[in-house]
Amino acid sequence: METLLPLSLFSQVGNILMIILFGSACLAGASGAVNIARPKAVFERSTSILLVVVSVVFMVGFAWICWFHYQIYTLLPLELPSQMAEYLNRQLEMMNSKSAYGLPLYDAGNPPRYAIPLWIENEKYYFWFLCYTAMALVGHFRLRQHRLRGVLHLLLAVQIVILYFWVNPFQDPLPRFFVEVLPWFTGDMHPGEKFGLFMRLYPKMTFYYNASYMWFHPPLLFLSYACITMTFVTSVFMLIKHELPIEQMGYDFAKLGYFMLTLGMLLGYPWALQAWGPNWWWDPKICSSIMMWAVYSTYLHTRLYANKKSMWYFSSFLGILCFGAMIFTFLASFFFPGEHTFQ
Amino acid sequence: MKKKGSLDYYLILATVAVLFAISIICIYSMFYFKLAQVQQMEPAIKAAYMSKMNTVISPFLIILILLLGICVPKRLLPTRWLVRSTVLLAGVALAFSFFQGIKMGLVVVLAAALILQVVVLILALVGSERLNFTKKGYWVRVGSSLLHLGMILFVLDLFFYKQQALHLILFWVTTVATVLGMTFCFYADSVVGLFRRKAQHLG
Repeated sequence: METLLPLSLFSQVGNILMIILFGSACLAGASGAVNIARPKAVFERSTSILLVVVSVVFMVGFAWICWFHYQIYTLLPLELPSQMAEYLNRQLEMMNSKSAYGLPLYDAGNPPRYAIPLWIENEKYYFWFLCYTAMALVGHFRLRQHRLRGVLHLLLAVQIVILYFWVNPFQDPLPRFFVEVLPWFTGDMHPGEKFGLFMRLYPKMTFYYNASYMWFHPPLLFLSYACITMTFVTSVFMLIKHELPIEQMGYDFAKLGYFMLTLGMLLGYPWALQAWGPNWWWDPKICSSIMMWAVYSTYLHTRLYANKKSMWYFSSFLGILCFGAMIFTFLASFFFPGEHTFQ
Repeated sequence: MKKKGSLDYYLILATVAVLFAISIICIYSMFYFKLAQVQQMEPAIKAAYMSKMNTVISPFLIILILLLGICVPKRLLPTRWLVRSTVLLAGVALAFSFFQGIKMGLVVVLAAALILQVVVLILALVGSERLNFTKKGYWVRVGSSLLHLGMILFVLDLFFYKQQALHLILFWVTTVATVLGMTFCFYADSVVGLFRRKAQHLG
């Protein structure tokens, strides 16, 4: 694959960025812990600069991922010999006439290419944590509360450590994708075998990698996950102290998160219906996502009564529960079998 | 902020309780699905399991739809009339359920909710002060009306998913209403600012 794609260049540059991120995360985590423990703010200016640096490095890394995906798009077309292409189109025409959702015909002048979304496999964690970094930056500069800032930095550090050690997208780029497509580009196959492989790769390319919903359904949900994390932090502070600016900031992030979550879930719905039919809601991931949405809706409704002391605490408890539901929803993909599973 | 003890408050509590029950059923179903390895069974057994779960959850969904049906007229009617209209709606829905099936009864509730919500939206758009809203402000009221209209349309869409053309129309109207509703509801100040700047620019 190295002869077709600049894989090692992508990994090397990406790993350098990850080392910078990891170093910054250690510093951010340490300063966060000190700020939480101290009664007064310390390293105020330097932590602000550090957070900006982390955000910039994160953005550069994301641009690097975009470049890599562009390379896949331009350098890995699924090309077929002309005779096979004619045979394929006859087969596709026959299949499409009997099916509600058909595959596009093969165009020899413009062979199918992988337009892979920027948030699949380990890259989804990168995007999710990038969203959190942007929101932590907003939260940091909005409120000069050193303990809140400390918690935001500590959470950022935890996320970058997870990214660096367990889900580094640059270490082994898109492993599942490359396992799938490797035989096509490296194997010397019999025409029948090649046709069979094409018929496995092409539908997955059309209905998964290149599907339009993949460009808005997952990113909107990851944006909402980042917002829920911010709401979680503010909700924890609400349990400890009655501070209106913190509650207001949590509510602002909750509104944005709810917006993204509702829109993301809505836009995934027609595809869920197409793929799984009327019982789509019994997929564990969808089931837990609906629960999370219900908790989130309840949180926003109970906030109307937050002037009552008991409702203030109940509202903050729901903010924390929402975060728990988000973690549960995410982990559901690993534990429960279903259409969204990562097992 | 609202008074504890109002009808609104109890409706919210009832909704929370129903959502909680639905969540418990969902969690149970997820663990059962995993532990009984339903995904490895034959499609017919899998379909039978889903059908059984649909039966278990349907009473709660029916209550949720009925609550939705009650929540909509609360914007239009005082408490006494709200109770009367709820009883009337429940009676009509029961009659339809008895003669034409539960599904038709629920469609009647949703259709009534839809008509009333459209009336609420129109009154909110013309700036009527007779509507009972928790929050003040023109755009918040319009947004809230659109958001709830989106929810009703979404549930109706679940009923008509087999009719491809109607499903897609309902889906897109739902999405647009929900997005506009959330924008107006959550970012009313920004929307007001935008319209003011536009008006000044034109003036």
